[in-house]
Order: sequence, then structure tokens, then C-alpha cells
Amino acid sequence: MTSDSFLDVAGAEKAFGGVTVLGGVDLKVAAGEFISLLGPSGCGKTTLLRIVAGLLAADRGTIRLDGEEIGARPPHRRDVGVVFQNYALFPHLTVAENIAFGLKARKRPTAEIAPTVERFLSLVHLTDFADRSVRALSGGQQQRVAVARALAVQPKLLLLDEPFSALDRKLRENMQIELRRLLRELGITAVFVTHDQDEALTMSDRIAVMNKGAIEQLAVPATIYRSPATAFVLEFVGLSSRLAGTVVGQDYDQVIVDTAFGPLRAPGSFVPGASVMLAVRPERITVDAPGDYALVARLRDAVFQGSKVQLHFEAREGDHLMVETADLSDGLPAPGTEMRLGWAVADTLIYPAP
Amino acid sequence: MTTKAAPSAWRDPVALLAAPAVLYLLVVYAFPLLWLFMKSLTGPGGLTIQPYVAFLSDPFNWRVVGNTLRVAAWVTVVCFVIGYPAAFALARAGAVLQIVMLVSIILPLSVGAVVKAFAWQIVLRRDGIVSQTLVGLGLWDEPQRLLFTETGLVLGAANIFLPFMILPIYSVVKLIDPRLSEAGATLGATPLYRFTHVTLPLTLPGIVSGVAFVFSMSVSMFVIPSLLIGDRFQTLATLTGRSFLLMRNEQLGSTTAVILLVLAVSIVVGSTWLARRIGGSQT
Repeated sequence: MTSDSFLDVAGAEKAFGGVTVLGGVDLKVAAGEFISLLGPSGCGKTTLLRIVAGLLAADRGTIRLDGEEIGARPPHRRDVGVVFQNYALFPHLTVAENIAFGLKARKRPTAEIAPTVERFLSLVHLTDFADRSVRALSGGQQQRVAVARALAVQPKLLLLDEPFSALDRKLRENMQIELRRLLRELGITAVFVTHDQDEALTMSDRIAVMNKGAIEQLAVPATIYRSPATAFVLEFVGLSSRLAGTVVGQDYDQVIVDTAFGPLRAPGSFVPGASVMLAVRPERITVDAPGDYALVARLRDAVFQGSKVQLHFEAREGDHLMVETADLSDGLPAPGTEMRLGWAVADTLIYPAP
Repeated sequence: MTTKAAPSAWRDPVALLAAPAVLYLLVVYAFPLLWLFMKSLTGPGGLTIQPYVAFLSDPFNWRVVGNTLRVAAWVTVVCFVIGYPAAFALARAGAVLQIVMLVSIILPLSVGAVVKAFAWQIVLRRDGIVSQTLVGLGLWDEPQRLLFTETGLVLGAANIFLPFMILPIYSVVKLIDPRLSEAGATLGATPLYRFTHVTLPLTLPGIVSGVAFVFSMSVSMFVIPSLLIGDRFQTLATLTGRSFLLMRNEQLGSTTAVILLVLAVSIVVGSTWLARRIGGSQT
């Protein structure tokens, strides 16, 4: 990955008026890869994207794209396409003219422009809309024009800044799948900024979870979800049951932690006496399974969610005990019911207390 | 949006909202104008176009027409060159700075052209600030008088009409998403290409109104040339004024007034049409 990375951002730093927005970020992206920058607003993900696009100058750091240092180049000489959050379509041009804009600006031969525009119009299913004003399009159509416009010049890298945030849920899911397919077909390397974890998990080859101007974890979606590197990643991506506790002992490769529900085990090693947080993904917990169980808890609330049921249990202040399970055949249990909860030690995550 | 055809202006009650304005303009503007027009066509022996023939056959009058259009064109150009970037600075400034700038543009309008023209008389004198600055910078060898010159007139008039260029362009620029230029950049467009293909076409409606305002005001200005250049330099407007006020020649006055009106309207309408055409075919 180090030698053949297509995009290589090293030590990118940016501060606005003394406030650090990016604190020395490294990011390597392989050719053809789809990477998501996932994080809450203000984590620096859009700043990083704008720095790579050249719309913002980094205070420090280097950016290499396809073997060339592009950090000092103006945006129009970087060959980096951007799909903006609000699409930023040219309102005075038609759909086809928007798509042709980059080709004309790059002085491509006229004979080449029309077929390219045709091709990208059909790739985003807008052939019939070629001569429409972009102002007359729906949100989903505008988004497709923005994607086609950015791709028509065949940039080395495509950056997407929350391009789905203005679309309603159903349309968004369709567009995500569509866009992913299109980028795979064209073999485009893409960096995608989002604060929506579902979007990141669905679309990405790898996800970089960002917090306070730094990348907390960069890994494939399954790893991000199953083995979050930090408590922040755990809480930002997906739901989890969390119990605070104190390390009381070590048993070979397992830590024994004293919690409000008694001693529990987790893989790893910690100094005895350390304050820690134990966490388990809610679907990893079994309810009322015979034999193996970890603790008994009193049900506070049961939430029916169609394909699954969410069970919330009474827990100490600061703790959070929840289970997700397939729809229960004999109806929702009543609040106050005592239930036995169990999970594998291997599924237990442990972090220093936040 | 409903699918039914747009209601005609006669049936749409909203059109009635324009009635007071229409009535007012008819009484105080259209009728006097018509009277003026008739006056210019009425000779001692009835209807005649003799005043127009006489006016157009006198080379002095052609110079007057030339003066009028040349000064108005220069004033418009100066206002545009200064006002266009200023409108961007204004639109992109922070909230507080924007209010300060807006007030400093709008407030001077309340002073009135006469006071400002007198102020410019002081500025343009041989020992005025313009002359002294240029000598100080070494651009002029000795102090010169700009007062009572065409340059002085253009400078003074441009200053007075500048807000009418800045404000319409500002109101359009404020509506332009700054991301559009960024989008152009990421598509490979140079700053110049972005300006000519994104910014300029999108600001064209503002430019058209700004130019129309400033041109029609400077083609018809009367007080400013009277104070800044004097009687030796005649424009259609000052000639009209002199005809009515000094020469008591209502026929000459109404003739020049009609010619001025026709010229101004056709140039403003013509340039608007041309700009729209260029803007419409912009790709």
C-alpha cells in the first residue's frame, strides 16, 4: 500500500484562526479504491477534501497523486473532480452544456466533446434531459448531472462531498448503489465525505473514521464495525452496549473487569485497577439462551423495528445495555421482565474509560 | 404549479396593483411627453417636421449629439470598471463590513447632485486634490485644472452615478453561489475561463440594469455638466434646458428633448437586447 498508493496525503495540517482543523493527517488511497471519510461535522473531513481538490491551501503537508506532487498546483491543474454537496450546477446552462463544460474548458477537440457528453448522459440515464435547464430537474437528477459533469473530463480522482445528503432516504439508497456501480465500471478512484455511517458502510472499500482533525481508524467496513480501534469509532459507527468497570485481574489473554453486573471478561491485557469500558454490539448478545450467559438484567423498554426488535435494559447511570434480536415469535416482552443476556468473550470490546 | 394557462393581465387581479403607478406615470409623464412631442411637430402653419430637419442640418447640433453620447459612454464605462469589482467586494464581504459599505454607498445619494458637483469643483481645481496628487506622484509636471474639462465632467458624473452601477450588480452577485466558480476550477477551467463562462453570464442581468441606469442618467444630466464644464460644452440635455429657460424657444427645446429621449431609449433597449442575446447563446 505504501509504495503503490495512487493518492498519498502526508502530514496535512490546517488551522483557521488558531483553531486546528486538521492535525497532520496521512491518507493513502490505492488506484480504483473507494474510500470514505466518515465523521461528525467539524471533524475536518470536508477540509481534507477541499485541500486535496486545491480549493483550500494546507498549512503543511504534501499531496501526491499518481506519482506527482500536486500540493502547490491550482485546482484547475490537478485533475481532481469534485461533486459538491449542493451540486453547484451552472444555472445558466443546460444539462448537456453542464456536462460539456469541463471538456470545453480543457479545449478538447469539438469532435470528441459531443460523443463524450452523449456517453455520460446515458451513463447517468439523462439522455432525454440533455437540453433541459438544470433548474428544471429534481434533486436526484441534479445529483446525476453533477456526477456526470465531474466524470466527463475523466479526472484521476473523484471527490464527493456528501452528495446524497439532500436526497430522501429511498432515492438515496438507489443512488448509492448506482454510483458505486458506475465508479467501479469506470475504475475511478474516489474519496467520499459523509457523516452517515450507513452510507459509508454500504459504499466503501475502506473507511477512514475522523474525529477532531485526525483519522482514528482506517480499515475495511467490517473491521470498522467489528473491531473499532477507539471508543470514538465504536460510538460513532453502529450501536453498542457499554458497561463501565475496573480491571480486577488478568487470566492469560483475558482481562477480568468488575462491572455493575458483576465480573465480566474481555480479550486483551490491562493493568489491574484501570478504569475501562466494555462494549458489545447489540446483535452479538443472545437473550434467554439456555446455558451460557453473562448476566441477568431487567427490561426497561422493547422497541419493534420491523425485521428486528430492540431491547433496552435497566443499567447504572452512564452504562447502556441494549440488545437487537430478530422479531420475537411470542410478542414483545413486558417492561420489568428479567432476562438472561449472554455473549462470547471474543465479541467483547474493551477501551480505556473515556 | 397548476397546468391551466396563465391568466391574462386583464383578468388577473394582481395586475391591478400596478394601477396607481400606471395612472401616475400617465398623468405626470406620458401626457407631458406627448405634449412635448406634439409641440416639436407643430409649426406656425400646422404640422411640420421642419424643426428636426433644421436641427439635423446644423453641424453644431451634431457635435452636441456627439458630446452627449461620448460623455455618457465614458461615464458608463468608468462606473462599470470601478463598480463591477466593487459589487463583488460588497457581496462577498462579511455581514458587518457589508452593512458599512452599503451605507457608505447609499448615504451619499441623499446629498444630491448639486452639492456633490460643487464639491467636485473644489476637487478638480488647479490646486485641487487630484491635481496635487498627480503632481506629487510625479505623473504631472505642473498643476493642471481638470475643472471645465471633459475628463473632469466624466470623473465627477461617474462618482455621482456609481451607486446605480454597484447596487444592481451587487444584488445579482449576492445570489451567485461561490461554489460555481470552484466547480469550474475542479473541471479544469482557468480563472479567466471561469470568469468569462460562469461569472460574467450570471452577472449579466445586473450589468444590463446598471448600464441602463447609469447611461440614461448621464445622457440626460443637466446640473452636473452645468457646474463642472460650463456653457461652452453643450449636450442635448443642457441645450434643451437652455432652449426652455434662456432662449424661450419651446420648439427647439422640445425637438432636442425628443431626440435625446429617442437616442437614450434606443441605446438602452438595444444594448439590453444585445447583452441578452450574447448571454443567451453563451455556452
